[in-house]
Amino acid sequence: MAGTATYLIVLILVSIALIGYLVIRPSITATKGGKILAFVALLVLPVLAGGMGASEHLEHSKSTRFCLSCHVMEDYGKSLQIDDKSFIPAVHYQNNLVPRDQACYTCHTDYTMYGGLNSKLRGLRHVYVQYLGTVPQQIRLYRPYNNRECLHCHLGARSFEEGATHTQDPKTLPLVKANQLGCTSSECHNYVHDIGKLKEATFWKEGGK
Amino acid sequence: MQPDKLERRLRLAGILIIAGLLVELFSLRWSHPTAFLVFIMLGGGLIGIGILVYLYTLVSREPMKAQTNK
Repeated sequence: MAGTATYLIVLILVSIALIGYLVIRPSITATKGGKILAFVALLVLPVLAGGMGASEHLEHSKSTRFCLSCHVMEDYGKSLQIDDKSFIPAVHYQNNLVPRDQACYTCHTDYTMYGGLNSKLRGLRHVYVQYLGTVPQQIRLYRPYNNRECLHCHLGARSFEEGATHTQDPKTLPLVKANQLGCTSSECHNYVHDIGKLKEATFWKEGGK
Repeated sequence: MQPDKLERRLRLAGILIIAGLLVELFSLRWSHPTAFLVFIMLGGGLIGIGILVYLYTLVSREPMKAQTNK
């Protein structure tokens, strides 16, 4: 993505230079060439830069750093470093089972602006609460965690399809796949972020530092 | 429209769009939800208004024929 960002910065700087020239010498728009220059510099390039900028911001918003940049999310970031294999997000993050730089987005693909209309409206409400309201002490998902987020990686994997616990009862897997038996809410993989346990937890130090 | 007035509007449009592009440039260096809001509301707003001023300048320009008839 660094490539796209570089192109965008170049595009913005070129646009600024051309528009600056028009601002200094607006009389050039009396000529045909000047009119074309004004059309490109004052309409085409800014629209293009705006579109590319929006796309770049959307890419930024998938990053773990972006999600954890709000104070309320700090503890959720810490929970990714818990040194305990029973904590699902931590074990995924620490073993690169999800990309570390997009860890939140990988497992919460329908959140705020990436979800439907209701999710987008909730996202706007979050912004309102962040700046003008009272941020709750503990945040919760609006809906039970959807198995789809697990299945987009685990579905078809041998460890998932042939795992002893999953195959013990032939009804289990179909229920899990139909999201009728929650992976994280059926007492099977129920240690998720659990930020209430952070005080007594020990933490993994990245790079063995 | 008088050339002075037209040039002033073009200048205004240019300055607004430059301001919007500068906001966009700085917002890209910052990875935070606020940066996205600043980009959309301030940057997008300035660019949008600048483009509208430019388009208004185009449509409010008197046709050459009308000027010669006077």
